[in-house]
Amino acid sequence: MSAFSAILPARSIAKWIAKWRNTALLWALLAALAVAPLLIPSPNTIRLLFTTFLWVTTSIAWNLLGGFAGQVSFGFAVFYGVGAYTTALLMNAGLNPFIAFLASAFTAVLVSLFVGVPAFRLRGPYFAIATIGISEAVRVVMTNLTFTGGASGYRIVEHRPFSQREHYYTALVLASLAFVISLLIANAKFGMGLKAIRQDEDAAADLGVNPYTYKLAAHALAAALTGMAGGVFARYAAFIHPGGVFGFHTSVHILLMPVIGGIATVWGPVLGGFVFGIVEEEIVASFPEIHLLLYGILLIIIVLFEPGGILGGANKLLRRFRAKR
Amino acid sequence: MQNVNPPILEVDKLTKYFGGLAAVNDVSFEVHQGQIFGVIGPNGAGKTTLFSLITGAVKPSSGKVRNRGDDITGVRPFKLVKAGLARTHQIVRPFREMTVLENVQVAAHFGRNSVTDTAAAKERAREVLRAVGIDHLANNPALTLPVGSQKRLEIARALATHPDLLLCDEICGGLTHSETAAMLQLLRRIRDQGTTIMYVEHDVKAITAVCDTIMVLNYGRKLAEGTPDHIQNDPAVIEAYLGTRAAACE
Repeated sequence: MSAFSAILPARSIAKWIAKWRNTALLWALLAALAVAPLLIPSPNTIRLLFTTFLWVTTSIAWNLLGGFAGQVSFGFAVFYGVGAYTTALLMNAGLNPFIAFLASAFTAVLVSLFVGVPAFRLRGPYFAIATIGISEAVRVVMTNLTFTGGASGYRIVEHRPFSQREHYYTALVLASLAFVISLLIANAKFGMGLKAIRQDEDAAADLGVNPYTYKLAAHALAAALTGMAGGVFARYAAFIHPGGVFGFHTSVHILLMPVIGGIATVWGPVLGGFVFGIVEEEIVASFPEIHLLLYGILLIIIVLFEPGGILGGANKLLRRFRAKR
Repeated sequence: MQNVNPPILEVDKLTKYFGGLAAVNDVSFEVHQGQIFGVIGPNGAGKTTLFSLITGAVKPSSGKVRNRGDDITGVRPFKLVKAGLARTHQIVRPFREMTVLENVQVAAHFGRNSVTDTAAAKERAREVLRAVGIDHLANNPALTLPVGSQKRLEIARALATHPDLLLCDEICGGLTHSETAAMLQLLRRIRDQGTTIMYVEHDVKAITAVCDTIMVLNYGRKLAEGTPDHIQNDPAVIEAYLGTRAAACE
């Protein structure tokens, strides 16, 4: 230690790195992702990254409500699907896709209020169960709705040349937006209110937090981001169907990612989104029959042994390592 | 002397039935500005129910609660905070994953005259922690505090909402002799700085040491009200606490 302290510049540099580590990491990651399409020729890798950005977006969105505010929802497929169908219908009506994405956010927020106003009268597991019910009900309705093609799905016709890079950057911007929102909220008044609600809803109310409106607000914000992700996906896929975007597995995926990465943190959902986005297709390809079962097992293992996810586990290891030294 | 100041809290014929049992039965009293008003009674007397009725956690079967003339009967807790009423919990309820400072910061963010700016809220939280005497623990996880400090954290959180009336529920429960004495000293200091206190407690010694006026509850009914001296010598109170034979010996 004393040998090190003699070299003052080295120490101050170390301090400087420690201080700016997160910011530097963020910019490095963003820069790498921004130039990736120029360096990676494989359209398949770009497609994989595109999908990953959408997963990261929904993962961050879910974490706002499920992580920070502690309201576990199994119903995010509703927002993803509503966003997807909104964009699809509006694009086919001739609207600019980017305006359609904003409309997707708007309809998803509306739907989040329809769901949230009654469902947030319930607490804990009862809220979670209600979201499953609502999500499945919406899927069934969409399966039988004729003007969107029902179960056979809905095709989007875009009269513009297909540019994979445009899709890629759209998704990257959306994921960045979600991240910035999550980062700004985490330690601000809004985030403190949400965290207080998760840790003790009644005590939070006794300090002036209105749990009901705060949950509704977090729900709406999460819905807006998830809805836009659905819209961006719909435009890329050019074909959507209720069993996909409204499927229960979509809700489970969106929930699983922040849990994998580390719930109620800023970086956890990002990490979880990347891990899941990159691994998911491999898992589906390798174990097509049992991949959902594997997710279930993974979820149980995480909740039992490391509720903090990858980030929580890494922090624990780091602390243990430091304590030993 | 006690009625010079206007009442900050008026409770009028408050009654709460749980099934057929009246946990609080026709209780009326007034808390005046600048008082430390004590509520005492044996186990099951209805202290905590009365407390919950005033703080809006439980809705009364009948009766009214007024704050400076405004009807606040059954008003939800987060609205009461904005009106200047704050409570502490008998069983401490810190936000377990937050630090001590963050716990109080939440109160500064959401209490009366709330602050949106994070730095300002932290600053106010630090001031309150200093006033309550646990500023040296600011960066500790709330979970790791010993009981005495956790009770102080409860008070700090309530104070950070800038209340006119602080409702304390058994803040000396589980404390040692010297901790209790220090806690009562803190209550006096809070009152001297302009916050009226209503203090519900099981411990007779603690409450007679600190309160100006004491109300005694028994089986949900108001048994007596008066100065500590008056209460300690009231035969009905002695009977309720020590039994009929002890009362006869007096």
